[in-house]
Amino acid sequence: MTETITIGLARMHVEYGERRDFLPAFIARLQKYGAQVFLEFGYGSGMRLTEADYQKVAPGVRFVSREEIFHKELVLVLRCPADDDLQLLDKKSCLISMLHYPTRPRRVEFLRSLGAEAISLDSLKDDVGRRVVENLHSVAWNGSEVAFQVLRRTYPAPGMESTERAPVRVTVMGVGAVGAHAVQAASRYGDLTLWQSLATRGVPGVQVTAIDYDLTGREKPMREILSTTDILVDATQRPDPSKVVIPNDWIAWLPEHAVLLDLSVDPYDCIIQPPEVKGIEGIPQGNLDQFVFAPDDPAYDRMPDCVSTKERRFAVSCYSWPGLHPRECMELYGYQLRPLMRTIIEKGGIQRVNPNGLYFERAIGRALLSQFKVNSLKEI
Amino acid sequence: MKPIMTIGFPRMRHEAGEKRVFLPEFIEYVVTLGAQVYIEEGYGSRSGYTFEDYKQANPAVNQCSREEAFQQDVVLILRSPKPEEFKLIKRGSILVTMLHYPTRPKRVKTLQELGIRAISLDSIVNDKGTRLMENMKAVAWNGLEAAFDALEKRWPGLVKTDKTPIHVVILGTGMVGKHAVDAATKLGNIERNSDHIADSGPGAIALSVGRNISSNPVMMEKLMSQADILVDATQRRNPSKPVVPNAWLAWLPEHAIVVDLAVDPYILDANPPVVRGVEGIPQGNLDQYVFDPDDPKWDQLVPESIPSKHRRTTVTCYSWPGVHAEACMRHYAQQVEPLMDVLFEKGYNGLSLNGSYFERALYRATLKAWLSGEAEDSPQPAKRRQRSSA
Repeated sequence: MTETITIGLARMHVEYGERRDFLPAFIARLQKYGAQVFLEFGYGSGMRLTEADYQKVAPGVRFVSREEIFHKELVLVLRCPADDDLQLLDKKSCLISMLHYPTRPRRVEFLRSLGAEAISLDSLKDDVGRRVVENLHSVAWNGSEVAFQVLRRTYPAPGMESTERAPVRVTVMGVGAVGAHAVQAASRYGDLTLWQSLATRGVPGVQVTAIDYDLTGREKPMREILSTTDILVDATQRPDPSKVVIPNDWIAWLPEHAVLLDLSVDPYDCIIQPPEVKGIEGIPQGNLDQFVFAPDDPAYDRMPDCVSTKERRFAVSCYSWPGLHPRECMELYGYQLRPLMRTIIEKGGIQRVNPNGLYFERAIGRALLSQFKVNSLKEI
Repeated sequence: MKPIMTIGFPRMRHEAGEKRVFLPEFIEYVVTLGAQVYIEEGYGSRSGYTFEDYKQANPAVNQCSREEAFQQDVVLILRSPKPEEFKLIKRGSILVTMLHYPTRPKRVKTLQELGIRAISLDSIVNDKGTRLMENMKAVAWNGLEAAFDALEKRWPGLVKTDKTPIHVVILGTGMVGKHAVDAATKLGNIERNSDHIADSGPGAIALSVGRNISSNPVMMEKLMSQADILVDATQRRNPSKPVVPNAWLAWLPEHAIVVDLAVDPYILDANPPVVRGVEGIPQGNLDQYVFDPDDPKWDQLVPESIPSKHRRTTVTCYSWPGVHAEACMRHYAQQVEPLMDVLFEKGYNGLSLNGSYFERALYRATLKAWLSGEAEDSPQPAKRRQRSSA
């Protein structure tokens, strides 16, 4: 390595509730690996971290303007910045962020037009196709935690914490990576402390029913299942987002106290044809500012006309479930990113990473914007 | 540091059904590490591989006797050699295999006495304590596949007479339990599931329950009486107590299949004794993993003192991943390659907890880390009970 690599970490200027930034321990690692690290003014403030907190463990770190951050060789930010920010990128820069190439063709095109390289965090995969940077565990656990908090309020007498009640019934639709975590999270109320406390008191537990797409489309068994479901979880990955899993009128089959949990985060888009809809039709899309919606929430009035919202239950939905517990989330992402950043820094920059090299080099190679088309074809 | 010059691949001499060997493409990879490779005569023959498949005209690949395979600088074998075979290994050689340090104190002592530098594949864990060499998915999928195979004999196409979905009750919500849910809803086999969907089959429902329900007989009776398949994917805190007492098996319909993914053996002379999660079922292996209620093996494999009056067809195997030998070894090869890169680069003595991601993981699995307690200090699995994923 001949020159010191510069890394800029930008803040995420999205909803107010988005508080996440990488933690001081991760920044210290980057410096230890040999990089010069720059943080945007105010970095970490959402999590009540000060400049001193970062400088204490990473003395060389410098706080600079947002504009300056985007001129560094590596620009690291968890959620993809807006186009205005991306335009600040130097041609020699490499943006490292959740870029979702397959579902964001316009973004891919825009980044390519800037001439910059990028690494999509969601495309970092190992040799068997498993994501290297992901927090699906938190998607399932944080969503379940909130759903049970709501159920505690809606559950009929004798109440959710009564030893006299029947087992809570959770139905999880979709058994992919998120669904599998959701089964485990639901069986423990999404909250280990609550689980242990209720179990110790002899409160009956949770019975989780998992169903896949070969059953969700069948009206008769679904009616039977939904009629006894306390929490309905959408953890599906639909090949066709224009087709709902639960049509709005099926929601009427659920008990009045039931809670709808949206872990799939598909948005509504009525402009395109056919319109794209959420898996459970008629629930609002939440974010870190608001993720609980009562049946009379004004958010329903703001939903697009192409969506039927007649049947309602309490709904919990969030675009960024892991952001609910920012510190835990960033600790995990930092941990997962460490060996990848070390590889880039020790190699002397992204240009020197060999996509056919060692384990982490291969993972990085698969996530490069410049390699995207090639990899897509390979996956097909 | 003395470089690693040679690596030996002895065969696994366990039950006849154990067909697993590292595949020719893995041997091809090992050659790129710069070592001379010594493969025991007959290696891979149970899976139809010849020595020529492995050699592929490469002068670095050699055929040898079993003794010679054990005499190399590194010895790589998936399941641990038998106790009498450890003395075939040279003092100072590196043995890489599933050694299960926490539950095999005698084995640890032998390795120490013989001066073998061991790396236990089941102890290779990352900074979060996650195993890097495991095949829990295959444990769940292969077990469920066998269960649905058995059920399909009764109901061709897996369509019940009342055409309702098949009910699978899964006990345990850990890693294996999670994979079991996925496998259960897909009938244990993706291809079968696709055909089933194309034929408008009724599918399957997986009910997952943790210990706060599995310990309640009233709720369990209700669940078990409707179960077509009962899966034990538990990791018990107290292995001397079954999760499902034998009397409970009477609640299952006569046609129900019991799937044992937990693989705890009966060890009645231990203190306290270890019993199986589902009381009164035998323990299978790769030679036989399906046991009908009238199978004479039942009485041979279940100790007399264990209640086994109530029986249902049971699928059980100590090494579920071995059911699909090639897929299993391809999986392990992918997991072990980055670790071998580090081992050949650093050598056993060069490994440290201050190194790279894979180096730290490998270090934790060394016998010296286990003996010094360093393996216990950082991540958790060394303290956990073991599940055979080999």
